[in-house]
Amino acid sequence: MDTNLIQGGDIFDILNIVFWLIGSLGYYNLFKKCSVKPLWSLVPVAREYHISLCAGKEREGRTYAILYGVNMLLEIINLFISETSILDMIISIIMLAVVTAQCVYMIRIFLGLCQVFERKKRWTWLWIITESLTAIIWGCSKSFEPSRKVESIDKDAGASISDNYVRPSDTGLTVNINGRTTIDFFKKIYLLRDIHLSIPEGHMVLLLGGSGAGKTTFVNAVTGYEQADASIMLRDKDLYRDYSKMKYDVGFVPQQDLMRGNDTVLRTLADAATLRLPSGITIFARKKRVHEVLEEFGLGAISGSLVEKLSGGQRKRLSIAMEYISDPSLFILDEPDSGLDGVVARGLFEKLRAIADLGKIVMVITHTPDRVIDLFDDVIVLAKDASRTGRLAYYGSVKDSYDFFGKNSMEEILLTINQKEEGGEGRGDEFVEKYALLAAKSGEKAGDDDE
Amino acid sequence: MMMNEKNIKHRGRFAQVFIYLGKLFRMFIFQNDWKVLPMSAIIAGLVSFVVGANLFKTQEGTLMGTFALSCICIWNGFFNSIQVICRERPIVKREHRSGMHISAYITAHMIYQAFLCLCQTVITIFICYITKVRFPDTSLITPWAIVDIGITLFLITYCADMMALMISSFVHSSTAAMTIMPFLLIFQLVFSGAFFQLSGVSLKITNITITKWGLTALCAQGDYNDKPMVSLWNAVAKMQNMEIDGTKPIQEFMTYASESDVRDRILKWCGMNNQNELYAFDAVSVLRCWGFLVMFTVIYAAVAVICLEFIDKDKR
Repeated sequence: MDTNLIQGGDIFDILNIVFWLIGSLGYYNLFKKCSVKPLWSLVPVAREYHISLCAGKEREGRTYAILYGVNMLLEIINLFISETSILDMIISIIMLAVVTAQCVYMIRIFLGLCQVFERKKRWTWLWIITESLTAIIWGCSKSFEPSRKVESIDKDAGASISDNYVRPSDTGLTVNINGRTTIDFFKKIYLLRDIHLSIPEGHMVLLLGGSGAGKTTFVNAVTGYEQADASIMLRDKDLYRDYSKMKYDVGFVPQQDLMRGNDTVLRTLADAATLRLPSGITIFARKKRVHEVLEEFGLGAISGSLVEKLSGGQRKRLSIAMEYISDPSLFILDEPDSGLDGVVARGLFEKLRAIADLGKIVMVITHTPDRVIDLFDDVIVLAKDASRTGRLAYYGSVKDSYDFFGKNSMEEILLTINQKEEGGEGRGDEFVEKYALLAAKSGEKAGDDDE
Repeated sequence: MMMNEKNIKHRGRFAQVFIYLGKLFRMFIFQNDWKVLPMSAIIAGLVSFVVGANLFKTQEGTLMGTFALSCICIWNGFFNSIQVICRERPIVKREHRSGMHISAYITAHMIYQAFLCLCQTVITIFICYITKVRFPDTSLITPWAIVDIGITLFLITYCADMMALMISSFVHSSTAAMTIMPFLLIFQLVFSGAFFQLSGVSLKITNITITKWGLTALCAQGDYNDKPMVSLWNAVAKMQNMEIDGTKPIQEFMTYASESDVRDRILKWCGMNNQNELYAFDAVSVLRCWGFLVMFTVIYAAVAVICLEFIDKDKR
């Protein structure tokens, strides 16, 4: 047998490798132009993910990279199995499905590249037909420059960590969050960090922060629903340690009115009472409580109506009543005024103020705080720092917050701390540092007073 | 109010089952859930009209009819529950946060779905009865053959129902659920192990389908192995006008066979050579099939609970 003969399959493999190397060279330069580490162009799978970063399609890139990896894996498995086996057939079917999905994601990413490089969409065809050559053209030609570069987030950037630990008090809510992390596409990221505060009983607190500042993450950490590296004390009880019992003492009203539309108002509330109230309560006491809450929230007249027939305001009141039925000490509401007009929203917040006046802690997230700001005692301001982590930029009275930020309204404060690309002033880090100093000073003062 | 009290207990799983049962039955009345009952009557009517004539009379008719009956049971089961959890997933998440036990929620669904499946089974049998479908005369488990058949139909429907409930518990939207459903349906039909010639791995796969065990139980209850097989006779009948040397020997033979008992003996003899040991007319075969259906039902329900326990991990 002549060993010098090169078979058709071998030529195909060699060409494949050559094209891959050409493509890598193209991507090497393309990545440099987009401020992505060029060495990633030489690592399969990672390369596919980083192309998507250049294209501003990170989400698609994750799926694309995974599909690419799966396809590679299947190709490797295919090398070791017989072509006539049933496993080969199954793998071929899976590969076909994977390649189809891969093509769709590839098109999305290449369209993104065209957009970033401000080129016509028809370039996508060339990318699909001959990816390597197009990568060389785009990577090496000076006429192809991206309109925006990939923003790299330095994990160590951002305001320094203060560790202003707050001593738990026997009354109120004490929050000491060291960090709340998550794994996002193999990367550990901080969602929240270094948040220490204490809220007295009877206070109504506004939770303010831009999009992605970690408001909901903060609320979930405080309620114990998504536990963080933290200590949350409600009065003298550790919320994390006794979560299974304490959860009934924390009311959380979600943004959407999550109720079954085909149930009546009375039944919805009665079922909520059965679920949330202690089993030791008599049926008469439970019924009494249901009727009390119905009247308190102005739902008595419509108790027989189906939930789906209620107005937005009525639905919101019912949603709040469902949590209020168990008389929680800590009451948290995520945008309770969304979709409500000014008058109805005002009435709702006045009701929440009345609840706080009963000695409860009421914490509210809202995007239109200024119309009802007079009803709040305190404000918690969360800001994204340079590493995109949610940090505490302020906690204190509403009045003092204006002086602290040098602004006249909550909306102005929000604009100050928001990132520049969100249309804000990007001063989040500055106020995080400033507040940390302020908190440290007041902590020292409190310590001196104790001595 | 509650913080000062020690060892406060809240409603346990058992009590919560009744809360959700109440909700589900209200949904049956006030929402459109009741519509699955008339829908099942229409489907049963159509199927019995098409395949009812030869059901439990010939081997081919029995196989086709029991396959069709299994299919309508699976169709009913799938449609009963494919959307019930995913359509209210955010509500389930909220309630889980407020102390709802997932096992109680699924148990309530299981009881409610059992009620629906039972109603659909009764409707299907009633429709078959009024469309003059001939049910087997001899029973194997209970004293009444119709009850035996009813139990099998119920188990097929309920098993399919639980499978759909499982799908509904891990998909996040009704659209996703309705996309997956046809795939499951096709899988159940293709791998029923009766209609398509399968071998090797494909044949083994049939063991995990509801149709395989449902159809096997129905064929066993209908005494498939003792039924005449008519395919060969019908094939020969198509050639009866064939002439050889000016005569029609096949027609002559068929006339002779029809006038005597030879035809019946041939049909019976064909049937005897087409027996399937899985369809043996005995209680053990039927109980084995029922056992598999019950086992699948329990597995699907358990997987539904496990899937839903992770509902807190849902992203916003």
